[in-house]
Amino acid sequence: MTGEALGLTSVTEARVREIGAADIVVGIPSYNNADTIGRVVSAVGAGLAKYFSGWRSVVVNSDGGSSDGTPAVVARTGVDFSVMFIGDRQSPLNKIITPYHGVPGKGSAFRTIFEIARRLNAKACAVVDSDLRSITPEWVELLILPVLNKGYDYVAPYYLRHKYDGTITNGIVYPLTRALYGQRIRQPIGGDFGFSGRLTEHYLDKRVWESDVARFGIDVWMTTEAIASGAKVCQSFLGAKIHNPKDPAADLSSMLVQVMGAVLALMEEHQALWPGVAGSRPAELFGFQYDVGVEPVHVNVERMIGTFRQGAADLEPIWREALATDTLDELLPLKDCPQQEFRMADDLWARLIYDVAAAAHHRVLPYAHLLKALTPLYLGRTASFVLETQGLTSAEAEVRIEALCQAFEQRKPYLVERWKGRERMQAAGHDSQMAAKGGHEEPRSPSVAGPALH
Amino acid sequence: MRDFAETVLLEPLKALGQNILALLPNVLAMGMILSVGLVAAWAFGHLIERVLRVVGLDHLCDRLGVNAALLRGGVKADPSHLIGRTSYWTLLLFAATAALGALNLQPVNAFARSFLAYLPHLFTASLILLAGYLLSNFVSQATLIGAVNAGLPPARLLAACSRWGVQTVAVVMALEQLGVAETVVVVGFGIVLGGVVLAAALAFGLGAKDLVKDFLEQRLSGRPRDRMNDDLKHL
Repeated sequence: MTGEALGLTSVTEARVREIGAADIVVGIPSYNNADTIGRVVSAVGAGLAKYFSGWRSVVVNSDGGSSDGTPAVVARTGVDFSVMFIGDRQSPLNKIITPYHGVPGKGSAFRTIFEIARRLNAKACAVVDSDLRSITPEWVELLILPVLNKGYDYVAPYYLRHKYDGTITNGIVYPLTRALYGQRIRQPIGGDFGFSGRLTEHYLDKRVWESDVARFGIDVWMTTEAIASGAKVCQSFLGAKIHNPKDPAADLSSMLVQVMGAVLALMEEHQALWPGVAGSRPAELFGFQYDVGVEPVHVNVERMIGTFRQGAADLEPIWREALATDTLDELLPLKDCPQQEFRMADDLWARLIYDVAAAAHHRVLPYAHLLKALTPLYLGRTASFVLETQGLTSAEAEVRIEALCQAFEQRKPYLVERWKGRERMQAAGHDSQMAAKGGHEEPRSPSVAGPALH
Repeated sequence: MRDFAETVLLEPLKALGQNILALLPNVLAMGMILSVGLVAAWAFGHLIERVLRVVGLDHLCDRLGVNAALLRGGVKADPSHLIGRTSYWTLLLFAATAALGALNLQPVNAFARSFLAYLPHLFTASLILLAGYLLSNFVSQATLIGAVNAGLPPARLLAACSRWGVQTVAVVMALEQLGVAETVVVVGFGIVLGGVVLAAALAFGLGAKDLVKDFLEQRLSGRPRDRMNDDLKHL
């Protein structure tokens, strides 16, 4: 199936015709980012001038109707090449500033950037967030050069982050996507990517632009689509990622619904592919890996464990519908565990996430309820990770994340079994309901419980 | 004396006999209609159940979560069987009403007419109750999860209140549809609901003013709550 071509505004159409063609397109989606986008445009402009001076390049700002003058900031931002020792600039930096159409969200902004890149017949593209404070001109080189010089189709970012920064990524999205698709992309929802013109065509041809992908979930969608389509993928080390904090009132459970919803939708779409993938292979990492101090992250473990305990007390009937009996039996005793001894094992967490994925697939519960009921479990797992890695450096904590990923990979046959076994899952659900009512529980089939982890 | 006996005893008996003879075809017709109706209802019910099974209604309901909702309500039969049985009883009810109509008796005819006129109300009320039950389950589950995630201790109480609230509204609407003590039910419900809302508003305003202040501060100023005391970035 192929997607319909996206219509651009007449001004944008005219600008695209005026430019004609480009080798490199760098897209910056924005919405009310006037205070940060100038720096991002400067960095991109400097990066293009410094590393791609002989190439025709275009910066595209795809704006969602900002009311703070973001497009005006983009229009007037220039680069002082002299202070950066750039003297041999051969081609001027072209800018296209355009509003995007369609469902409001980052995905729709990306679609407009992709469409412009296609019309300009770009060889390589990159997208960077507009709220970045740590972007440097080198980011452009690191995201574009693997495509132009090494023949890669997709360049994922590799950031240096605090060990407690990005806990959904570290605890769910990275281990899950790695186990599912067999590629070790450390930041699958990073936000800043490089990709080839060929992959841009592939993205545009997908019929997802009216779905949730257009609103949120574009990042994990791009990564997964790249891997699933067989594109050649790699990573580039970009250093620390410092950006404006997201909406502080953003609800964690809604965030989980969005991220997990996107991952689960992709699992549905690629269910012919991922059950056959075993293990994982590393993706090549470009760039010089330096160490840098990252912002400290304060964590309230007591509150997280408190939410887990309340979940175990109040949500048990709901968890019982989604989780396997074995998983729940291991989980519930944790609510009485003293704080310092609170640990949720990697294997248990992997099975739990797989149970949730299978429950979503079989629609055991309304989708949003299922994923929102995951919040106390996620907080429990995060608290366990924090307690376990207290006093460790970020590099040492990374070893723990690697162990978690291996647990996800080893338990993958359990996911495949649960995913396929609707009838058996129903039987397990019935057993668990009987158990909840104090009834007699039949012994469960070993195939439902999954293979033992040796 | 003989005339008297003929007038007083035999005439009424003769009239009764004639009436019975006149009614006999109607009774036979009633029996026939009832028998045919019974067989037709049985066949129709089974046919509907089979067809629904073949087209995969149970599977569809399973995917939509209807089966789980029925199970939670203590209904163990699958939707195809339920619809088959409902069709059977509906057809049987119509057959019984038609059979009674065959007697051609004035009071029976009047009853049958009013019963048939009442059937749509009965059907609508049943639908309202079913929808109310399913909605109450959904709302109470959403409330429970939301309250737990917000860290509210009386999460189960809030969920139970929402469940009973929705079910009460459904029962009131169903009773209104059935025309049972319409005014009393609506006025009574209005008074009770008004009282509950007022009590809840007072309790919320007086008992949870710190929580509300905290919530509004967070919403309006964009500051995270102090009590959370963490700046975990999840993504």
